[in-house]
Amino acid sequence: MSSADAIRIDGLTHSYGETLAVGPIDLTVPEGEFLVLVGASGCGKSTLLRLIAGFEQPTGGSVLTGGAKPVPGKGAGLVFQQPRLFPWKTVGGNIELALRYAGQTVTAERVEELLARVGLHDVAKRRTWQISGGQQQRVAIARALAVENPLLLLDEPFAALDALTREKLQEDLRQVSAATGRTSVFVTHSVDEAVFLGSRVVVLTPRPGRIALDLKVGLPRSGIAADELRGLPEFAALRAEVGHAIRDRVTV
Amino acid sequence: MTTTLAPAPPAPPGSAGGTAALAPSGGLRRRLALRLLALVVLYVLWEVTARVMRNPAFIPSPGAVWDQLIRTSTEGYSGHSLLEHLGVSLRRIVIGSAIGIAGGLLIGVLLGTVGWLRVVAEPVVTFIRALPPLAYFSLFIIWFGIDETPKLWLLSIAALPPVAVATAAAVHGAPTGLVEAARALGASRWQATRDVVLPNALPEIFTGIRLAVGVAYSSVVAAETINGVPGIGGMIRDAQRYSQTDVVVLGLFAIGLSGLLIDSLLLSAETKLIPWRGRV
Ligand SMILES: Nc1ncnc2c1ncn2[C@@H]1O[C@H](COP(=O)(O)OP(=O)(O)O)[C@@H](O)[C@H]1O
Ligand SMILES: [Mg+2]
Repeated sequence: MSSADAIRIDGLTHSYGETLAVGPIDLTVPEGEFLVLVGASGCGKSTLLRLIAGFEQPTGGSVLTGGAKPVPGKGAGLVFQQPRLFPWKTVGGNIELALRYAGQTVTAERVEELLARVGLHDVAKRRTWQISGGQQQRVAIARALAVENPLLLLDEPFAALDALTREKLQEDLRQVSAATGRTSVFVTHSVDEAVFLGSRVVVLTPRPGRIALDLKVGLPRSGIAADELRGLPEFAALRAEVGHAIRDRVTV
Repeated sequence: MTTTLAPAPPAPPGSAGGTAALAPSGGLRRRLALRLLALVVLYVLWEVTARVMRNPAFIPSPGAVWDQLIRTSTEGYSGHSLLEHLGVSLRRIVIGSAIGIAGGLLIGVLLGTVGWLRVVAEPVVTFIRALPPLAYFSLFIIWFGIDETPKLWLLSIAALPPVAVATAAAVHGAPTGLVEAARALGASRWQATRDVVLPNALPEIFTGIRLAVGVAYSSVVAAETINGVPGIGGMIRDAQRYSQTDVVVLGLFAIGLSGLLIDSLLLSAETKLIPWRGRV
């Protein structure tokens, strides 16, 4: 395998008991790619992400991240649909904990810098329930970034947010991603979100999740306003293609 | 708390801390007024009953109890002042519950984390919890004599199960989502326990602690029935022998009111220590 492969998946399957949830799947993610996994709910997206994170073990085939078997907390930062912040810590305390686990020096400046990177200011001293849902999810992203793993995995992180907040966070994540260049796998069931965020979009079939479409997104990664990007004819074309791939598979 | 004598206010009792969204408790002033009113009503009832009964050995009048308060505080009773009796009892309660709480925490964490231990030891804890403290007091007397040791043992053993059970349940039921979040950040198993499982269990542990202190309170009078002077239990016991009902009632008040005070201290400590209670 090439040393530049961040993730390498070969003949991967995963079953819960008798039911096959995903696979078989073959997929290689080169370093620096922003891969978006799209599919109907229940098609195995979360399972696939948990396999990559090391929280689930394959029942068949293999997953390698950075050339090794994935271990939770080593090599991949994780953002969930719910922020999963620790309410007994302040906002800053949540970031500090992540820094401490990563063996980094904990300073107020470092905490502020990480929060600023996701567009948050003057919230470090707040309690986690004193900020909005969108802000909580920003903190969750900052917490995952703090650890500085080569890989960032996000499982429908914006699904529970209102439309306005979601769009704002999508734009900001796009910028953060362009700035850090970290290899990311982002799970969503929104076609628009997939095309907007991804440098590559993979569509999964309904359960068991298999690859239905694997698409390079040639849109500019930075230096373009969100509205402008969404207005491009290529954007509309990609959206239509991904949308078709999903709709063709879903039997209602 | 089981020992409090103070009249339960007719309307909302002090809710168990945090946000009681389902039981709005009205304004602070309204609650105070209600409580005061209840106290006055109780006092009048007491006074009237005492006058109608005309039997101070059965129901002493509030005045007689007040006089006893003055007398036991200045001259003392059974050779010690009321404050000394109360102080010794409180000391036993504090030491007993401290040992019981510490033991309960340790056992609770072990039960909550080690599967086979829970299977083996949970029935034992439930068994002890079902026993009335007086039942094993006799055993402690045989083992440890009649001095301080068996009393402290009694209170410790009585205070342990509520904390152990609450801790075990909370530790065992730790939310996988938060534990996973910590593991995903690189926390070791021990770090995840220390930083997530235990803090997450704190609200339940605190409820267990309040229960434990309550049990210790209600057991202390029993523990002091044997060689209990100085001690409120011993004082009550002596007064019972001479049918000095006013002293008995005074002793009950001393225990009940101090219990109320301690519980409210614990409650305010809880709001300070666990600001996130009811927020998640
Ligand atoms: N822990 C589990 N035990 C049993 N079945 C599960 C479990 N987790 C998920 N599944 C099943 O596996 C399938 C894929 O689930 P999931 O990966 O969560 O899908 P998605 O994230 O795409 O909605 C679903 O049918 C779901 O019911
Ligand atoms: Mg999912």
